[in-house]
Amino acid sequence: MSTLEQAVDLDHAIVARRTGPSLNLPALIRRALVYVLLSVAAFVSVFPFLWMIVSATNASPDIVTGKATIGEALLTNVVGFFTQVDAPRIFWNSAFLAIVGTLLTLAVSSLAGYGFEVFRSRFREKIFGGMLLMLSIPFAALMVPLFVMMANLKLINTYAAIILPGIASIFIIFYFRQATKAFPHELRDAARIDGLKEWQIFLHIYLPVMRSTYAAAIIIVFMANWNNYLWPLIVLQTNEQKTITLVIQSLSSAYYPDYGVIMVGTILATLPTLVIFFVLQRRFVEGLLGSVK
Amino acid sequence: MSGLRLRGVTKSFGSVKVIKGVDLDVADKEFVVFVGPSGCGKSTLLRMIAGLESVTAGELHIGDKLMNDVDPSRRGIAMVFQSYALYPHMTVRENMGFALRFAGVAKPEIQRQVQEAARILELEPLLDRLPRALSGGQRQRVAIGRAIVRHPEVFLFDEPLSNLDAELRVHMRIELARLHKELKTTIIYVTHDQVEAMTLADKIVVLRDGIIEQVGTPLQLYDDPDNLFVAGFIGSPKMNFLKGVIVEGGVRLPGHGDVVVPAREVAAAGTPVTVGLRPEHFAQGGPAMIGVRVELVEHLGGETYAYARHGQSELMTLATNNARDLAAGDTYEARFDPAELLVFGADGKRLR
Repeated sequence: MSTLEQAVDLDHAIVARRTGPSLNLPALIRRALVYVLLSVAAFVSVFPFLWMIVSATNASPDIVTGKATIGEALLTNVVGFFTQVDAPRIFWNSAFLAIVGTLLTLAVSSLAGYGFEVFRSRFREKIFGGMLLMLSIPFAALMVPLFVMMANLKLINTYAAIILPGIASIFIIFYFRQATKAFPHELRDAARIDGLKEWQIFLHIYLPVMRSTYAAAIIIVFMANWNNYLWPLIVLQTNEQKTITLVIQSLSSAYYPDYGVIMVGTILATLPTLVIFFVLQRRFVEGLLGSVK
Repeated sequence: MSGLRLRGVTKSFGSVKVIKGVDLDVADKEFVVFVGPSGCGKSTLLRMIAGLESVTAGELHIGDKLMNDVDPSRRGIAMVFQSYALYPHMTVRENMGFALRFAGVAKPEIQRQVQEAARILELEPLLDRLPRALSGGQRQRVAIGRAIVRHPEVFLFDEPLSNLDAELRVHMRIELARLHKELKTTIIYVTHDQVEAMTLADKIVVLRDGIIEQVGTPLQLYDDPDNLFVAGFIGSPKMNFLKGVIVEGGVRLPGHGDVVVPAREVAAAGTPVTVGLRPEHFAQGGPAMIGVRVELVEHLGGETYAYARHGQSELMTLATNNARDLAAGDTYEARFDPAELLVFGADGKRLR
């Protein structure tokens, strides 16, 4: 048989396998099982969103009894939300904290990650290892000392109290150090010969080349900041600085919580992260795959 | 107008010494090639000249100036990297003009310089593309263009052709030779490919383990190597080496019937030596003869190479003056002119 004939034969075999009459029973069962599992997983992740949207259209008593169909109370709930809370104020608070916090975290942590990878020093690995160890300390153990620190610095009830502790994020430093391993060192050499100082290399070469990495980091940090609940709850004690997550929580701890209103708030709180994610989605995937071309 | 002068230059990384004292003079407008096996320190030496690695000890002059501690951008050099190192987020035009922009050169002047370099390298139609939309050869030309616009006194090339396919490599080699004629500047070029070294260089510097083994023109190194290493490294196919012993009036080569080849008296009788013979020396024929057993024959059309052993020797490569009827298993009388014979002592040094 010539190689061409063999190739044609092989082709037929592949086509036959794909088109299916020869799809045998165990394979069929395996495939069915996969679909069932994936469907369950999809349902589990999508259901809360559906429930949230459906509930926002129903009155609170209906929600409590488990009504799962679209209702007519959406307008009432929206009006209720905007009369019960100072929406512009709390969205401004949340947005300010999330945006400024994200920018500062990226600025500091990406610089640190870059530095850890690019500059050789005798203690580099020891310091880095020590930092990674600290990742294992749960936030609950840091809460009280951090609070005391903030109190001593007279930062309670300020934005700074929320932003500062997160700026040097060990996880983001680690993430950027890993990503920097794929940053070609010859680009640095070329830039040095072109006359750039270290900070100019970072700004003019590293930053634009690594934009996928930054996009992924923006999503991660922005979501964490936007959804941050525990720490703001501790350091923000007046209503002026409260964020959307805190406000939603306070709504649900009312004597008669209005779940319709709460669901409207939840939807509004979800939107910014959704927008950020969809805008940066393609870059997010690239960033996690670590593509430097 | 700028040559280079290196005096006692060394480089250590921690306790590891990678450059162990290099003295070298490079004349103005000379095309110098650093060649050697990987790990010999040739790239490190180039990076030291560029200022990307510090000089541990010794003096490095470019032109008349001591450059040991001068910033890379102020040494009057430009470098072309193996991976091209083009800025991926900038167009060809921006890549080429970047250094000038940073040096504060006026926009119209940058534009003019970039156009000029693009013309020399035939890059004009590609000026607005990003590097990722270019082929390997085009990227290489952009990298060279980026170096040209800076009008350096010394060009540094770090294995610039090793990422290209064989055909393109030959083409770019010719381009580089042409470019050197056109630009009339000093070029230092690092490669591990001795063919590139032979074809491009005015002067070859052979490095091994952080020291210079020999410096000379390509043909000097080819015809008159100082030691076994240079003899074996330069030339393709490689030089053949046979173990032998000095006897009166020549060298005895153990093998089929102990051939004694006449040679000049280079050492006392009884000294063990290695003799070197280039493959093509066998094509010319001559009065001396060794009998070999052919193990493999390569017909290239224009020439036929026989791979053969003399007794228990290493496999030798012989040019046969196109003996097309030669076959594996044949015994072959390999004839050569004993005057061509190179003799090396036990320490690898040439005995002249």
